[in-house]
Amino acid sequence: MIQAYTILLDSLRMLRASKLFWVSIWISVLVALVYASIGFTDTGMSAGFGLWEIPMPLLRKGTQEAEVFYLLMFTDVIARFWLGWFSLVLALISTSSIFPQFLQTGSIEIALSKPVSRARLFLLKYLGGLLFVALQTALFCLVAFIAIGLRLKEWNLTIFWAVPVITFSFSMVYCVGVLIGVSTRSTVFSLLGALMFWALTLVAQWTEDFMYKVAYLMPEVGMGVDLQSGQIAEADNNAGSGMKKAYEAIKPFVAVLPKTRECTVGLKRLVHFKERNSMLTGIDIGSVLMGGNTDPVIRKAMEKYEMRHSWFSIIGTSLLFEALILSWALWIFSRRDY
Amino acid sequence: MSDFAVDIDYLRKQYRGGVEALAGVSLQVPYGCIFGLIGPNGAGKSTLVKSLLSILRPSQCSGTMLGEPIGKKSVLAKVGYLPEHASFPDYLSGRQVLEYSAGLANSAKSSYRSRADQLLEQVGMTAFASRPIRTYSKGMKQRIGLAQALVNDPVVVFLDEPTDGVDPEGRMDFKRMIVAMRDEGRTVFVNSHLLAEVEQVADRVAILAKGKIVIHGTVADLTRREARYELKIEGTLPTLLVEWCEQKGMEVSENRIRLSADSALAVQTLIDKLRASLMTICELKEEKFSLEDLFMQVVNQARAEAAAAVQGKGSTR
Repeated sequence: MIQAYTILLDSLRMLRASKLFWVSIWISVLVALVYASIGFTDTGMSAGFGLWEIPMPLLRKGTQEAEVFYLLMFTDVIARFWLGWFSLVLALISTSSIFPQFLQTGSIEIALSKPVSRARLFLLKYLGGLLFVALQTALFCLVAFIAIGLRLKEWNLTIFWAVPVITFSFSMVYCVGVLIGVSTRSTVFSLLGALMFWALTLVAQWTEDFMYKVAYLMPEVGMGVDLQSGQIAEADNNAGSGMKKAYEAIKPFVAVLPKTRECTVGLKRLVHFKERNSMLTGIDIGSVLMGGNTDPVIRKAMEKYEMRHSWFSIIGTSLLFEALILSWALWIFSRRDY
Repeated sequence: MSDFAVDIDYLRKQYRGGVEALAGVSLQVPYGCIFGLIGPNGAGKSTLVKSLLSILRPSQCSGTMLGEPIGKKSVLAKVGYLPEHASFPDYLSGRQVLEYSAGLANSAKSSYRSRADQLLEQVGMTAFASRPIRTYSKGMKQRIGLAQALVNDPVVVFLDEPTDGVDPEGRMDFKRMIVAMRDEGRTVFVNSHLLAEVEQVADRVAILAKGKIVIHGTVADLTRREARYELKIEGTLPTLLVEWCEQKGMEVSENRIRLSADSALAVQTLIDKLRASLMTICELKEEKFSLEDLFMQVVNQARAEAAAAVQGKGSTR
């Protein structure tokens, strides 16, 4: 217990000493405050704590659309882009040096000469890296929780699902950085490797997403795509059949990769409006602004699209990938002579 | 239970690529002494210490440390270590380095706090303990390194080139602190290539060359066993006496006679012979071999043997 506390405290100290950590925290607070400053009036939306008013009859104070919009701002925009993208890049930059620095000659020897197993040392150091994102997201969620509570009069604790989800999403990329960092002892390689891997998984997930939409979603709502001209037209009986085959072919390759994007996108499955008895699945922020998905066929297809991968498969395959990568890194770390 | 703090029956380390850093070392370090392991660069000194501390994995190892098999992690709670070129995270202060080291060694907070203050005082770093490591000089870092090696109140302390980069005044302090550790009952294992320093503080030494212990024992025994005596006489030696001396393996030059001997007893015969010939003895002095002389002798011998072995292998092919 003392050893775990010591290693985690050291990670915290390392983060506190990093300028990027503070920059990241302050930007996070700023983004959270911008979110908190959005409100609703009798005529529409307001921003900057009432400084600017935007007339939008659909998003008037007290309407369900306004409330859903406010929550979707969190799950679809902020969690997805700020927490799921920018803050993760900053976190990767800040944490990519943890292992290479730890493995420096003269430093690693002191840690290894103590009565702590290499596996424990490695895993605690890894958890220390995740602290960066967990702390930042927790702070952000706290501001968002207060903002949502004050705006919607609903103290929605499900907002805090963002902490484990975003941290988990980060951990999938970070583990690759750790593997490269442990193998090469280079911060630059660790960072570049992690970013490149992240880009690869995103491209794979976007491709799968796009192919699913063309193969299943669009035909279900009566639309088809002419792949030669790129035009959207009404679907015929064979709409999407070629794409279905292609989709099924790439599915296994995408399945083995970690699902960073799907985790952050899937966050809204976990954020519930208890009192309004509604989940946010099947609705996106665009459709709310358009007046909501009134067509039950579209809404059902959207719901199916969002739920096409179960949490079990998203978390399960990602965890399996992470476990494999971490085991590999741990094997290198444990076997090496320092 | 072994009588030795470190009792290595056999230790071999071959790195990937075939380099044999330790070619079957056997070594015993008694409790409560200062043990100096000396050897040229690349002899395997650091490899030996790192093998004992699980920092690297020996190819073959049998032996005990503090009565437990070498490699057992729990025993490291009673061990302190200052690595060569010790490096600490620059975001930590000197006191936090001690806290980190104590925490990893599983020392309770209550026990290490007062100990940390005491150690900072001992190494002369109390005034700088709250400053970040990045502001420290090399010597200050070594002092903090020494304090962190002692923060868990270890039974045995390994110091790898402890005075490397330390100024002469600092070296004096380090020697004093090493002796103080021994006086507190700790076993101190010092790796160094600074022979004069080791000679001044160590009770026992071993010389490691080409991955093997070529000689070991107490400093007194090792330097005495190569003792030489020199006699100065008045006038010149008669031819018969010169011949007698040369037959006995003594060196004669003008009015001086030199002889190697294990003890002063061997000189008595020469004195009797000289006195019987009515020679006047002006001076008799014992010339002890320094550790440096001994080191150069055994290391060169080891090198020559290794070269001969390589040549032998080459000629049999």
